[in-house]
Amino acid sequence: MIRFGVLLASLLCIVLSSPAQAQDKFPSKPIKILLPYGAGSATDIITRIMCEQLRQILGQSCVVENKPGAFGIIAIEEMARARPDGYTLQVGNVSTNAITPVLFKDKFNISYERDVVPIARLADLPTLLMATTRNFPPATLAEFIAYAKQRPGKLKYASPGAGSFPHYDMEILSQRAGIEMVPIHIKAGPPGFINDMGLGDIQVAYMNVATSAPQIRAGVLKPLVTTTDARLADYPNVPTMAEAGYPGVGTTLWAGLFAPAATPPAVLETLHKAVVQALNSQQVRDAYAKQNVRAGASKSLDEAKTWLKGEIANWQKITKEIKIDLSE
Amino acid sequence: MGDFVGNIMLGFGVALTPINLGFAFVGCLVGTLVGVLPGIGPVATVAMLLPLTFYLEPLSGLIMLAGIFYGAQYGGSTTAILVNMPGETSSVVTCIDGHQMARNGRAGAALTVAALGSFFAGTVATLLIALFSPPLARIGQSFGAPEYFSLMVLGLIAAVVLAHGSITKAVAMVLLGLLLGLVGTDGQTGGARFTFGAIILSDGIGFVPLAIGVFGLGEVIANLISPQHRRDLLTSKVSNMWLTRDEFRQSWPAVLRGTAIGSVLGVLPGGGATLSAFAGYVLEKKVARDPSRFGKGAIEGVAGPESANNAGAQTSFIPMLTLGIPGNAVMALMIGALTIHGIQPGPQVMTERPTLFWGMVASMWIGNLMLVVINLPLIGMWVQLLKVPYRMLYLAILLFCAIGVYTLNNNAFEVILTAVFGVLGYVLIRLECEPAPMLLGFILGPLMEENLRRAMRISSGDPMIFVERPISLGLLIAAGLLLLVVALPAIRGKREEVFKEG
Repeated sequence: MIRFGVLLASLLCIVLSSPAQAQDKFPSKPIKILLPYGAGSATDIITRIMCEQLRQILGQSCVVENKPGAFGIIAIEEMARARPDGYTLQVGNVSTNAITPVLFKDKFNISYERDVVPIARLADLPTLLMATTRNFPPATLAEFIAYAKQRPGKLKYASPGAGSFPHYDMEILSQRAGIEMVPIHIKAGPPGFINDMGLGDIQVAYMNVATSAPQIRAGVLKPLVTTTDARLADYPNVPTMAEAGYPGVGTTLWAGLFAPAATPPAVLETLHKAVVQALNSQQVRDAYAKQNVRAGASKSLDEAKTWLKGEIANWQKITKEIKIDLSE
Repeated sequence: MGDFVGNIMLGFGVALTPINLGFAFVGCLVGTLVGVLPGIGPVATVAMLLPLTFYLEPLSGLIMLAGIFYGAQYGGSTTAILVNMPGETSSVVTCIDGHQMARNGRAGAALTVAALGSFFAGTVATLLIALFSPPLARIGQSFGAPEYFSLMVLGLIAAVVLAHGSITKAVAMVLLGLLLGLVGTDGQTGGARFTFGAIILSDGIGFVPLAIGVFGLGEVIANLISPQHRRDLLTSKVSNMWLTRDEFRQSWPAVLRGTAIGSVLGVLPGGGATLSAFAGYVLEKKVARDPSRFGKGAIEGVAGPESANNAGAQTSFIPMLTLGIPGNAVMALMIGALTIHGIQPGPQVMTERPTLFWGMVASMWIGNLMLVVINLPLIGMWVQLLKVPYRMLYLAILLFCAIGVYTLNNNAFEVILTAVFGVLGYVLIRLECEPAPMLLGFILGPLMEENLRRAMRISSGDPMIFVERPISLGLLIAAGLLLLVVALPAIRGKREEVFKEG
């Protein structure tokens, strides 16, 4: 009778404890990824392609929730305040997760550097410096700079907004090259200013490869230089910034995966491994290639941390060097 | 010409896929429904369905929204003829002679002439879009910032001149829309405007909460507060649908005239279905040999304005599709639908997304054909709908609005914003202020500001850029002439007379 009682008790124990055990094994329910951009944006597509592969690796679905607005602060804060169990993550890019924490530090109700950790850098979208072909002879960066030097304050460049990374990038280039240009900010981004460039009203702008490819084919715009470390396979004749004599100038539009800082290290490790495996899969690489996106995961959690620190430090340096007044 | 045929074939190729046919049908059905039901207009419906298109292919979404817009022109006439109540503002004038015809036992003929006239007008207008959009878009490609700015000046002035009711109120509404459009981060300096320090407002006020609030919720509140109209249905009298030989002889020239005037007025900024219908009625009365027949059941009084409103509804797509400039509130919503999908409306849409453009054009003609089928044989069913109690209908609409707004950005603040704009919409209705110019101001204001500042930077601060460029100069002269014309007392009187007709 006693033996039966013990058996019953131990059975009960097993029954009662099994859900708790299942909870220990990560992941046991769908993972939510908050995104600071709308559906259909480049970052959104990068995330959804990765999600599909993660589902196969982790055996749990991955739900993307678009929370655009406030330079990314809405999505970042919601993630940072969520229960740190690895089920609420955030994907962001260089603007939302490196520039916003520097430029709009006091608009956060959390401490970005203390409360957010990176899981991995995911991918990047290469950027080219583009010029109009209308009444604009320069075909290389050196020719363009010489041309601009003769016309101080006369040439115009387009950027998607004051304080955006293309704005900073162009100001850095101007400073290093000793030229002076007028910025024109166009909220809609390249779709809103390609026409002005085609007409020759605006001469240069940074653009990602996906947007610029049809314009290059149509002969409306020409690429001067790429901001990537190596030349792009599609444009073997276009030199990198370093080759053109301006190393370190230009931002690569990256996307990264972030989690609340209090997430258990084991869970972060599981997620990191799964992400690396997903990004190395042929399916993701092919799908990214169609979008002109290059997969490139951090090799370890530590590498991811070092990378984000470097990005933040870099933007702190840039924003100190190039003063852009955003107060009025 | 070979190009034209190829483009049309491309359009039918995508428009005739089962899924797009399905969305055209849904759009036409919903359009007819809101057309038949007084109180809910196509602007409100398109606004409410806007978040839904977010989950569709851009083409399917546009096809559906367009179907609602021109479907409402068909449905509106049914209520006007049978109940003597305009289902839509654009069918206000149809009440005058359409309902008299119904009283004379000719309801069937009135419905037939309205549907067939609309179909003819729709076909012609679709052809016009296909013929004139490509050259217009080519001109649009030579538009830089100064040209766009001048075009918008012309557009806003035209919108005010052609709005019905008081000019002062129309100007005030445009300005209110403009102010609401300024909220958010200033693109040129990064400074915050009218955000009251709230980070949630740093991206500005969303287009969808504003449109759903003012047009959707505002109308619901207004309808619930006003006492229910007594509806005297004349269903029993719908019997013989065919026109007599005499009626046919009288109506076909009216259909032709209505189509012509509607096609022209639809393209104008601020124009569209309602203005076309009013103008169509006035024209019929002017050219009639015996104007005293009007108001007593003259079939031209139905054929003319009904053809005109449908032609106007269709051709108002031209400026939106070719230049990305909205002529009326529904087109402003269409632009909203495109931008949700990341498509920047403008002349490049036609070349970069030919299937989107031509698919849309082809679907318009298919939709018009569907509408004849939906409307004529099924007239009995639509009339039954007028018996649904409003309080039930509105609950469903409210819930739908809230879900729609929330799912767009997963943002609860926008739902609250929608409720606030709903109250504003009701207040505006009570003050007899048309909200449509406000929506135009909201869309065009920030665009105008951006293009003005862009042009000034391009010219290094020299305002002469607006008169040195020939296209810009021409547009500004046109705007000046329009202002002059509206200031002349003779024309002003005429304008008031036209809008009094209803």
